Amino acid sequence: MTPSFPIEFCVLFLGVVLLLADAFFPDMDKRKLAHIALVWLGGFLVATFFLRPALLWASPAGFYLADPLGIFFKQFALVATMLTLVLAIEYAPVVERAIPGSKPGAGLGEFFILPVFTCAGLMWMASAADFIMIFCALELVTISFYIQVAYLRKCPASLEAGTKFLILGALSTGFLVYGITWIYGLSGQTGLSAIAGAFAGIPAIPQSSQTALLFGLGLVLVALGFKVAAAPFQFWVPDVYHGAPTPVTAFLSVGSKAAGFVVLMRVLGPFLTVPEIETRVITVLQVLAGITLIYGNLAAMPQTNLKRLLGYSSIAHAGYLLMGVASVGSPLAGRAIVFYLVGYLLMTFLAFLILIPVAKAAGGDDIAHFNGLGRRSPGLALAMLLAMLSLAGLPFTVGFLGKFFIFEAAMQEQQYFLVAIGVVTVACGFYYYLKVVRAMYWQPVPVDAAPVEFSPLGRFAAAFLAALILIVGIFPKPILDILP
Amino acid sequence: MNTLIAPWIILFTPLAAAAVILFVGRHSKPLSAGLAIGSAAVGCLLSWWLFLQPDPEEVLRFPWIAIGDSWLQMNLSIPIGVTVDHLSKLMLVVVTTIATLVFTYSIGYMKTEEGYWRYFAGLSLFLFSMLGIVLADNFVMMFIFWELVGLSSYILIGHYFRKDSAADACKQAFIVNRVGDFGFLLGILFLWAATGTLMFGDLTSGKGIALFAANPIYLTVACLLIFCGTVGKSAQMPLHVWLPNSMEGPTPVSSLLHAATMVAAGVYLLARIFPILEAAPHALDVIAWIGGITCFAAALMATQQNDIKRILAYSTISQLGYMVLGMASASSADVSMFHLFTHAFFKCLLFLCAGSVIVGMHHEQDIWKMGALKNKMPVTFLIMCIGGLALSGCPFFSGYYSKDLIIAWAVVKYPLLGWLSVATAGLTAFYTVRLLTVVFLGKPRGDQAKHAVESPLVMLVPLACLALPSFIAGYPFIEKLFFHVEEPTAVPHLLHPVLLFLFAVGVVSAFLLYRNAEKDPIFIPLFANRLYIDNLYDWLVKNIQGRGAAVLSWADRWIVDLFIVQIPSKIVWGSGFVLRFFQIGNIQAYAFFFGLGVIGLVHFLIFR
Repeated sequence: MTPSFPIEFCVLFLGVVLLLADAFFPDMDKRKLAHIALVWLGGFLVATFFLRPALLWASPAGFYLADPLGIFFKQFALVATMLTLVLAIEYAPVVERAIPGSKPGAGLGEFFILPVFTCAGLMWMASAADFIMIFCALELVTISFYIQVAYLRKCPASLEAGTKFLILGALSTGFLVYGITWIYGLSGQTGLSAIAGAFAGIPAIPQSSQTALLFGLGLVLVALGFKVAAAPFQFWVPDVYHGAPTPVTAFLSVGSKAAGFVVLMRVLGPFLTVPEIETRVITVLQVLAGITLIYGNLAAMPQTNLKRLLGYSSIAHAGYLLMGVASVGSPLAGRAIVFYLVGYLLMTFLAFLILIPVAKAAGGDDIAHFNGLGRRSPGLALAMLLAMLSLAGLPFTVGFLGKFFIFEAAMQEQQYFLVAIGVVTVACGFYYYLKVVRAMYWQPVPVDAAPVEFSPLGRFAAAFLAALILIVGIFPKPILDILP
Repeated sequence: MNTLIAPWIILFTPLAAAAVILFVGRHSKPLSAGLAIGSAAVGCLLSWWLFLQPDPEEVLRFPWIAIGDSWLQMNLSIPIGVTVDHLSKLMLVVVTTIATLVFTYSIGYMKTEEGYWRYFAGLSLFLFSMLGIVLADNFVMMFIFWELVGLSSYILIGHYFRKDSAADACKQAFIVNRVGDFGFLLGILFLWAATGTLMFGDLTSGKGIALFAANPIYLTVACLLIFCGTVGKSAQMPLHVWLPNSMEGPTPVSSLLHAATMVAAGVYLLARIFPILEAAPHALDVIAWIGGITCFAAALMATQQNDIKRILAYSTISQLGYMVLGMASASSADVSMFHLFTHAFFKCLLFLCAGSVIVGMHHEQDIWKMGALKNKMPVTFLIMCIGGLALSGCPFFSGYYSKDLIIAWAVVKYPLLGWLSVATAGLTAFYTVRLLTVVFLGKPRGDQAKHAVESPLVMLVPLACLALPSFIAGYPFIEKLFFHVEEPTAVPHLLHPVLLFLFAVGVVSAFLLYRNAEKDPIFIPLFANRLYIDNLYDWLVKNIQGRGAAVLSWADRWIVDLFIVQIPSKIVWGSGFVLRFFQIGNIQAYAFFFGLGVIGLVHFLIFR
């Protein structure tokens, strides 16, 4: 067993080496970089299973926490990054077309390398136990995402998405820092456990400090709400998801959201120990969850573009996850959230993975471009069917159990109203996810349909994800047992 | 080999064979047949070996579902495990031995038929499911395999699915069984709700039964609901209608599934829960009546059928009625299991003989087109006579011992039903001899009968192998080896003479009536039309269910669809459409909305 802190540096180092390789060997096939990154990230993933949970540097007020939750989300970030790279390899021809260069493949290198830096940031976020650390990791992630979203320089949609993401992201970062300063001003601490200790010492927090504390926490919630795409801070999502390159969209919707939820759970920890604050925070989380659920699911219904649809679906899933966060009192809640995120990773990446070759063949990513896929490429259609059914939450898929555990946690906390909203919106979900299924199986094949090409690596990844969706959907215990 | 692993090998070998045949069987006929027969033979050898071992102290058991929840205050733990006791070992031996013989016979029977690999894959799947029922150690596992048996029966009955009658028959078999299974499932839930366990071992132990003793009505209801499963699977009245129609499947299927093993699953279920049944005397009364009436009515219907397989099908129903009656009246489950054991051999034999006749007659099944086949098919004739005599209860044949035992117990405990079953014995002799006389004696009644040929060796060898147990399986030395049955006390002295007399009357009257008959000399529409029960069901389905469905369909279209589906869905869709206008794409507006959100959140967090 080894201590865990070097692993992020390893990832960072890998990114730097790859950048250097990209610069010094301009003639190499840039896909090789992605393959190298895949192999090394896979190696790191294996290494994480031998990590020793540890609290490092200046404990107990440590700023780096490698508890089971943290280690699991490091693995989660590594898997998400690897899948993003698989998607990116699949997507490379589009990038080549959209970036002007003197020779073929110019500008492709960074497209494969930037996710590695994002990965390092996500892994630090998973372990961050101090506001400074949280802020730095968050910025590493966000800044690398700004570049990735705007990556297709020749494509106005991508540039527009990048600009919107940058400006709104900067806005939310501003709120985060402001919120942190308020909390620091009251407690004199930035470490999460130190903050909890500061409150524990005082028998009753005076009303004025309580208000100030809530104000600071509220601003932090705003910023994290932006990260996880919770209403009413979700306005950037559809435009950015639509405009960004598809692999980046997938990475953004899974990696960024998962990290946001880990940080949210960690940040809320010390505040929920104070009863007066707890009730208010839980109420706000309930309201956020309710609005997010309603907004995400309702607005998804009229969509005709699949990337936009998945953007709204990402908002909707944030709603279910927030429902879990609002039920933190229940012992099941943490495990339910972790399970949900795992399922969300599997089905979202599968959907985007199928979207890339289909969009490449059809020339667009509308739902109508999936018409007749069931007869054109039955295998791809079957995988997409599985992804959609799981996103909708059909039994025997991981999506069903994810929602089931979240609802059960909410029931244990007696949040019947929220569960009612959840159940109704699940029904809405069936409507818009099954629109894709209808297009694939019940619409005629367009006359000018080009054959769908899919690389062996992509096929393997799709089969792997599809199998996991079913396996975890039937046998959830291994994932549930990750958290004690 | 040890007793821990052997049951699992027996159970899963056929499944593996089914899977392999499914994937590669279409390329090679010998491979399909070889795999299926091989898997059955492995099961057969291991079952005999296991039978000779003492009951094992422990068995392998894997946890499968474990739900414990203090919030709902319930506890459910269901393992995947096996029961290895005398009952299951006996049943294993019967099922695998007969399966091996029938599989072998199928090579000859199915030689020229379509879907060869599909047939053998289906048979292997059936064997797996049946062994699962036999080995299950809890109700949930048994129910799963129960349904799997229903599924494989559906597949095999519908083997000639291009024929409408076969497609209808397999649908009917499945649906009628679902009716019974619904009760079975409810019964399982009842038992679980009362005791919190579904393990056979726990339920049948003294502790499990003591839990019920406080509430006898509850127990009676639970037992009757579980008995619904038996009524469906073992074709007891009023759910017997599917079994005669299931004869649309290939004859070896009728022999293995619908005569020897699958339909006996219901009786096996009763044997499994026998200790519970004993604690519910009122449930036993109902079971006895259903068994007794089925036994008598099915024999009446059998006397007027003209299809060789349907006669045997009604006779199967009648014999299953005996077993159910025996369960209700005897002191131990072994009495009925004894009859199940002998019946499995001779009824399987009869069906295989019928199959041999059908193949010889080029797939003609109407007995009135046969005749004088004893000259063309002497081996089949001889062997079928052994089966027929065993069925009709001729002294010194296996059926005589086991059936008379059940009748004796029934006469002691339920005199009325007992004497009804005595009468049934006479009817059995009558319709069996009618069948044999019309098919094998007299004059040929058609061209096919004139040109009939004896079946190939691969079919005759299994027949010969079954003829021996059909003859001797009832003898006391075999009975002592497999069973622990006891004779009832205070049997009326007249019983055995009366039985012998009725047997003689049945045989002689049938022989004289049908010896030279060109067509049926007696015609009783009530029996020929199966007591009009099928017609009643048709009428009920057409008029009650059909009209009800039409009303509901109207309500679905105009009330549910319009008011509960269309209008709310339009509202929801519309609100989604309106929400889209927030997404105007203008970044200043987004920042403005964001700011409003912040103000709202802070307001909500602090000032509420």
